[in-house]
Amino acid sequence: MQRVAVVGAGTMGRTHADAYARMPNAELVAVCDVKIDAAQQLADKYSVRAFADVRSMLSEVDVDLVDICTPTHTHIDYIKAAAAAGKHICCEKPLTRTTGQAMEAVRICEEAGVVLFPAQVLRWFPEFRKMHDLIVSGAVGTPVVARTSRCSAYPRGTDDWFADMKNSGGVALDMIIHDYDWLRWCFGKVKRVYARGLYESNIPLTDYALVTLRFDSGVIAHVEGNWARPGGFVATVEVAGTDGLLSYSSTDAVPLTIELKAKGEEKVGVTVPESPVSQSPYYLELEHLVNCLETGTKPEVSPEDGLEAVRIGEAALKSISTGQPIALA
Amino acid sequence: MAEPKTVKIGIMSFAHMHAHGYASCLKRLPNVEFVGIADDDPSRAKQMAEQYGVLAFDTYEQMLASDIDAVIVTSENAKHRRHVALAAQSEKHVLCEKPLATTKQDAEAIVEVVRRSKIKFMMAFPCRFHPAFKRLLESVTSGDLGKVLAMKGTNQGQCPGGWFTDLRLAGGGAVIDHTVHLVDLMRVLTKAEPARVYAEVDNRLFGGEFDDTGIITVEFTNKVFATIDSSWSRPKTYPFWGNVNLEVIGTQGVAKMEMFAQKIDLYSDKTGKHTYEYWGDDVNLALIDSFARSVAEDRAVEITGDDGLKALEVALAAYESAKSREPVDLLA
Repeated sequence: MQRVAVVGAGTMGRTHADAYARMPNAELVAVCDVKIDAAQQLADKYSVRAFADVRSMLSEVDVDLVDICTPTHTHIDYIKAAAAAGKHICCEKPLTRTTGQAMEAVRICEEAGVVLFPAQVLRWFPEFRKMHDLIVSGAVGTPVVARTSRCSAYPRGTDDWFADMKNSGGVALDMIIHDYDWLRWCFGKVKRVYARGLYESNIPLTDYALVTLRFDSGVIAHVEGNWARPGGFVATVEVAGTDGLLSYSSTDAVPLTIELKAKGEEKVGVTVPESPVSQSPYYLELEHLVNCLETGTKPEVSPEDGLEAVRIGEAALKSISTGQPIALA
Repeated sequence: MAEPKTVKIGIMSFAHMHAHGYASCLKRLPNVEFVGIADDDPSRAKQMAEQYGVLAFDTYEQMLASDIDAVIVTSENAKHRRHVALAAQSEKHVLCEKPLATTKQDAEAIVEVVRRSKIKFMMAFPCRFHPAFKRLLESVTSGDLGKVLAMKGTNQGQCPGGWFTDLRLAGGGAVIDHTVHLVDLMRVLTKAEPARVYAEVDNRLFGGEFDDTGIITVEFTNKVFATIDSSWSRPKTYPFWGNVNLEVIGTQGVAKMEMFAQKIDLYSDKTGKHTYEYWGDDVNLALIDSFARSVAEDRAVEITGDDGLKALEVALAAYESAKSREPVDLLA
C-alpha cells in the first residue's frame, strides 16, 4: 500500500487525488496547498489532513509518495523538499520550468535514492499509446515526417498562473511538452529545434507556437501549440513513413454525440461530443506508478524523459526569442 | 454590352499533368477557343490533340505563328523560361504553370522578358480562386479575425513521379513543387512579403536524389509567422492526391480552410480503393476565365510574374536554409 500526499489542490491535484482514492493499493493521506482553504476543501472530500506547508506535512504524516501538482515554476522546491525527506515523487508536467532545474531534480532524486516520475500522461492516453505501438511496430514503415497539433482555449489555472508566461512557459513549454515527450517516445532523441511563437508578444490570454523538431533518426516533426482558439479542445497527429501514413483527430474519434433541445429560457440547445473510455488516462498513469513502487520496478517514464522534454521546450522558447535554430547536445 | 472577344488559346507541352485540367476547362469555357497543342514530344502533341479534338502542331514555332492569342505553358519547370521567351517573341499572352522557374535567374529573366514585351503574363495559382479562400480572405480583410498573428499551411501530396523527381527538369522535389501555392495564398492574406525562411528538408520517404519532405517556416515583413508542409507524404493508398489546407490565427479568432473538403467518400470493390470524389468548384476554370478576360478586355492579370517570383524565392530559400541549417533572410 502506497501512502500518497498530493501537493497542489487545483484541477490536476483534484484529478490525481481522485485517482489515488479509487486505487486499491494506494491511500490518499494528505493534501497540501499554500492556500489552506483549497487544501482543506479537497482534504475534507477524502477525510484526510490538510496542510499549507509541505515540510510540516512531511514531518507529521507518514507518506511514501508525494504527488506535485502545483504551478510549474514551483515544482523544483517541492521536489527538493520531498527528496530531502526520502519520499518518492510524482511530478506533473513540465517536470520543472527550466532545464537547469530539471537536471538538479534528476540529480537530487538519484542521490536521495527516490523515484522521480514525470507525469507525462499522454503515454497513457489509449489513442496515443495505440499510435506509438503502431509506429514502433513498423505500420508506416520507417517514420519520416510527423505532425502534431494541440489546441484549446487559454487555460485558466488558479489565480490565472498560466498567464504569467515566465512562470508557465506558455504553450510552447506547458502544452506541447505532451507532444515533445510522445514524439521522443516514438522517434528517439531530438537534435535540433526551431520555433516561432507568441511567447514574448504580450497578447493577453493568447499564445501560439509552431515548432519544428529534427531527430537524430532523421525524422522531422512539426508541433503546433494553440492557446488562441475560441472553440474546444482538439488534438491531431499524423505520421508519414516509407510505407504509409497514420492520422488521428480527436474531432473524428467521437463515438457518442448527444444533442439536446433548448430548455426553458435557452435559445439554442447543446451538442456534446463524447469519447468515453472506461478508465481515465490519469488513473492508468498513476496506477502504473503505484504498481512500480509496490514491486520495485522502474516506471516507463524516467526522470531523464522528463528532463529531455523540458530541454526541448526551453529550446523552443529560446528559438522563439532568438530566431535561430537551437542544437541540442 | 458587346460580347467579349473569343480568346484563342494553345497549350505548350503536356509534360505537366495540370495541362489536362486546363485543357478540359478550355473546352468548357464559352469565351475561349482551344486551338491546339505543341509539345517537345510531337507524338504526345498528336495524341493529346486527338483526345481533345484540337490541332496538333509539329513545333512551338508553328503554333506561335498561328492566329492564337495566348498560350498555356505546362512544360517542365526548367523549360518555362525558354517557352515564355518564345511566346513573348511572337507576342502571345502566357498563362504559366507554377513554379515560375527552377532558379531565381530564370524567374527574373521571365519577369524581365514580359516587362519588355506587350504580352500579358499570368501565374497559374488557381487556389486563389477557390470560394473557400475568397471567403477566408474576406473574413481576414473585414477584420473579423482581428489582427492576423500566425498561419499554418499544408500542401501535402502523393509523389507525382516522372520528371517531377528529376532535379534538372524540376529544380527540386516536393519543396519547389508544393511550397509556392501556400506562399502565394499567405502573401494575399497578410498583404506582406516573406522576409525570413527556415526549413528542414529531407529525402527519406523515397530515398531518391530529390527532396520529398519539407517543413518550412516563413516570417513575413509584418511579423506574421507561418509554416508550410510541402511533403509528398500521402502514400499511394491515400484516397486523394493531397490537400491544400490553411489555418489563420487572429487576435479575435481562428479560421481553418480545407480547400478540397467538399468530397464524397467512395469505397469501391471495383477498384479495390477508397477515394475522395471532389465536388467543389473547379478552380482551374476560374483561373483560365480570369486569364482569358484579361486578354479579351485588355486589363491587368490577377496574378503576376512577380507573384510567381516571390513564391519561388521562398522555395529556393528553403533549400538554402536546409543546407546551411540557418534561417535565410530574403530582404538582405
